[in-house]
Amino acid sequence: MSNNVHEIIKPKEDLNYSSEKKPIHSDSSVEAKPLPKVTIDGKTYEFKPGDTIMQVAERYKVHEEIPRFCYHPAMPIAGTCRMCTVEVEKAPKLMTSCSTPAADGMIVHTKSEKVLKSRTGVMDFLLTNHPLDCPVCDKAGECELQDYNFEYGPSHSNFKEEKRVYEDATTKKLSDQVTLNMNRCVHCERCVRFTDDVTKTNDLVMVNRGWHKELDVADERGLFNDYQGCLTDFCPVGALTWNDFRFKKRSWFLDKKASVCDRCSKGCNIEVHSDRDVVYRYIPVYNELVNGHWMCDEGRSSYNDLMDPQRIISPLLNHNNSMTSTSLETVIGEVKKVLKTAASIQVVVGTDATREEAALLKEKSTLAFGKPVTINFYNGHIQTSQEDKKLDHMLRMTDKTPNTRGVEETGLAPLPNGELSSEVAIIFRNGRAGIPKMNPHQKVILWGVWNIEEVKNLPTNNIIAVIPGLATIEKEGSFKNTDGVVQKFHPAIQHRGGAVTVHHVVGLMTNNN
Amino acid sequence: MEYFDFIQLMAKILLVVGVSLGVVPVMVWFERRGAAWMQGRVGPNRVGPFGLLQPLADVVKFIMKEDFVPKNANKFYYYLAPLIALIAPLCALSVIPFGSKAIVNGQEVVLQIAQMDSGVIFILAFAGLEVYPIILAGWASNNKYSVLGALRGSSQIVSYEISMGLALLSMLIVYGTFNPHEMVAWQSENYWGALINPFGALVFLISIFAETNRLPFDLPEGESEIVAGYHLEYGAMKFALFFMAEYVAMIMASALISTLFFGGYSLLPGMGTLVSMISSQFGFGEVGVTNVTAVFQFISLCSKVGFFMFLFVWIRWTLPRFRFDQLMDLGWKILFPLSLINLVVVTVMVYFLNQ
Amino acid sequence: MGTINVSKKYTAKERAYLPAILIGMKITMKRFIEGFFFRKHFTILYPEKKRDYSDRFRGAHFISVDENKTENCTACFLCETVCPAECIHIVADEREEETNIYGVKKEKKPLSFDIDLLRCCFCGFCEEACPKDAIKLSTNYEMATYSRDEAIVDLDQLKRPMNGRHEKKDN
Repeated sequence: MSNNVHEIIKPKEDLNYSSEKKPIHSDSSVEAKPLPKVTIDGKTYEFKPGDTIMQVAERYKVHEEIPRFCYHPAMPIAGTCRMCTVEVEKAPKLMTSCSTPAADGMIVHTKSEKVLKSRTGVMDFLLTNHPLDCPVCDKAGECELQDYNFEYGPSHSNFKEEKRVYEDATTKKLSDQVTLNMNRCVHCERCVRFTDDVTKTNDLVMVNRGWHKELDVADERGLFNDYQGCLTDFCPVGALTWNDFRFKKRSWFLDKKASVCDRCSKGCNIEVHSDRDVVYRYIPVYNELVNGHWMCDEGRSSYNDLMDPQRIISPLLNHNNSMTSTSLETVIGEVKKVLKTAASIQVVVGTDATREEAALLKEKSTLAFGKPVTINFYNGHIQTSQEDKKLDHMLRMTDKTPNTRGVEETGLAPLPNGELSSEVAIIFRNGRAGIPKMNPHQKVILWGVWNIEEVKNLPTNNIIAVIPGLATIEKEGSFKNTDGVVQKFHPAIQHRGGAVTVHHVVGLMTNNN
Repeated sequence: MEYFDFIQLMAKILLVVGVSLGVVPVMVWFERRGAAWMQGRVGPNRVGPFGLLQPLADVVKFIMKEDFVPKNANKFYYYLAPLIALIAPLCALSVIPFGSKAIVNGQEVVLQIAQMDSGVIFILAFAGLEVYPIILAGWASNNKYSVLGALRGSSQIVSYEISMGLALLSMLIVYGTFNPHEMVAWQSENYWGALINPFGALVFLISIFAETNRLPFDLPEGESEIVAGYHLEYGAMKFALFFMAEYVAMIMASALISTLFFGGYSLLPGMGTLVSMISSQFGFGEVGVTNVTAVFQFISLCSKVGFFMFLFVWIRWTLPRFRFDQLMDLGWKILFPLSLINLVVVTVMVYFLNQ
Repeated sequence: MGTINVSKKYTAKERAYLPAILIGMKITMKRFIEGFFFRKHFTILYPEKKRDYSDRFRGAHFISVDENKTENCTACFLCETVCPAECIHIVADEREEETNIYGVKKEKKPLSFDIDLLRCCFCGFCEEACPKDAIKLSTNYEMATYSRDEAIVDLDQLKRPMNGRHEKKDN
């Protein structure tokens, strides 16, 4: 990566922006002294030396949040937008709360008349060139500019002249994932600071000055970092939009449910945005232990696999060498027949199974399949969790399955040589784990989240049945990520196809056996 | 001789039945358009000139419709009711004289289908039959609304038949005969019955409105309360028969009141002059004069009947329906005593005048 | 509690009933003569003559177009959001060519815009919500169709030029 190209001037306090998870203040010598106090809106709060007024207010949730555009807790402080100004007693002018360190005995007013008047003025200035094309803009409904203008903005603009238009940058594709509309930009430069200090790729810059200030890519490599989606998350206006979500749905129609990303062993916390059980996007949720504020583009796009029409969501049975859709009971009955006559049975659990599923399969396999079985786990990307490595300084990992450590903990052993050996093999995976090697006559029963293409490209012709299973965001369970953090999740959407839980299938297999 | 009698009888029947049934579609059209005019509307004006073919379209529709019979209906009476409804007033029409006489082929033809001395009794008998289709239809179609309509209809017709009979009785005393021919002759010699006995005429007029179930006395049908009353379960041509029966009954009632109170077929003022003018113009003999007179007598009766038909329509679109207790009050507490007193007064008057 | 008797005593004239009937018959006869001889009526003979409704009448929808026959709609979904009957269904897409009066590229267009007239309650909220004055309710009240499918109108059927604030009529 390019982090050795530039020596970046860092703020003295290293901020908590990434998976490195440094506590904000690790200096233990400070804690011995009595903590200083600051009064915000009539109430006194203790703080640690070095905190800015904004950080104190954030920590104690002083009534409503102080409005801000350029401030982001995981980025260096810029103090350019002037939206967060507060009144500090004995200070001649309003102070930007994001960059003013709190001092002992300081008295701050965040809602005084002077402050509100200042915010109105700032909003008026920010809106001079903002096109107000909210009906077209995808950010509408979750836009900070919209919200703050509604709360603090003037009812009439004093600006009578023609608005500035960037003709070349109205809908400029910065990369395959991100579109820029420079007209909407309020020049908070969060995106520039993100590429400078968080991803350390330095691929976005501001060019020109003043009226003509414009966001652009730094060089011919374009926008190339792996966290471009985060730009569209924290952009306070609709200047940077995520192409995959562009014009698909208005934000206010979306149901928002928390879940965990299963694209790699990091297990980023996400919010699943869906409408009528169709997922439209994932956005990251702050979790200091796991992912901070961020999420990689690969994980962000992973909902497409679930919503793929190629995904198998009804039970399939091999009928004269063609897969036909039937009822689950028929498939289970057929599978039972095959298992009864089989000489040896092998169960392969993908490391994308939840801890509960892996434990259940380990415990109940012998009972469910009628005879002793060998059960192993298979990852497909790495052998064991010891081999898991970071791909960059932030979040991305080598292991592309979410629960390798969790499955290992259940006591399962890895599949020897990654190769199937029994007469009949039951492969349970949820779309992330690799497919084990097999010979062309291997009898397999596929179970979990499968794609039609994957099934077609299997080296064997002896596919007995496909039992569809629920994907991560459709079920309940827990993952143990690469750092050993156990994360429990609940269904974010309701599955509308024929897929069922592992418990249901194991129950059906066990009954009437 | 007998051959001629048969022919002339058939001809008279054809004339009366043809005219009365032929008038029905015209009346249906007129009722609908007349209603429209009286209410400031246009009415049916799409089918044919002035919408005159509208009844034809209705007939086509009635014929094409499914001829259904409700479940659990008594099929015999269910089919019988509309037949009685149509045939009874047609029979009653047979004793209404529509002219004095005509001379055809040298033989005298009395312009009345059935010459009988007890003509008025015959009419009353058949008018009394009109209660049967209502009761039969209402009972046989196995529907609560129909039964309610039938009960209303029977009690109403029975109530008003009394005052109608009393009003008729007073005129019988005046005329001293049951024979309609002689009544008309009496009236053409003296005065119209309505001038002699205006109360009797009024009571009779009101009573025939009730007898024919026309507004304001159409309680057996009372759409707002009992849907369509006794003919609720009738569809297609069976309903059309009830529909036609209503108009034939109106024609019969109009002919009856014309004969009893308004001079029947006797020539209207000025018609006599017209007859003599035409006769002298074409140089008719005695036979010709008699026939021309007969034609004008027929026209005279038709115009009187036409007026009463118009009156039926006119009243219908002017007055709202009575409440049932009001109807009974009017019948028993007002019309019945009034007609009774009227009968006594007329009797006394006739006794003293004949002295 | 208790009832108030609002009925009044009838006068002798009213109790006689017949004079009132005659007055009523006089009125209906007057109307009859007017209708029969002078052809006076209040009915609008519908298919030949049509009632002119006020411009504020809320009838069938249309989507206004600009001089290039491009719809003004930007697929902002506000009408779909506000619609209480949920009868509007929009699919949005990137608009490639057109620019607005300031020369700025229009970004978004409706790929499809369906209104289910059978679900619509003609409240006019969509017209009020529309930031581009694109969706409007016309004075057209003839929306009968032979099938339910025909009652779902799409963008091509909805697009119509504007005359001032209202739909441009042919005459």
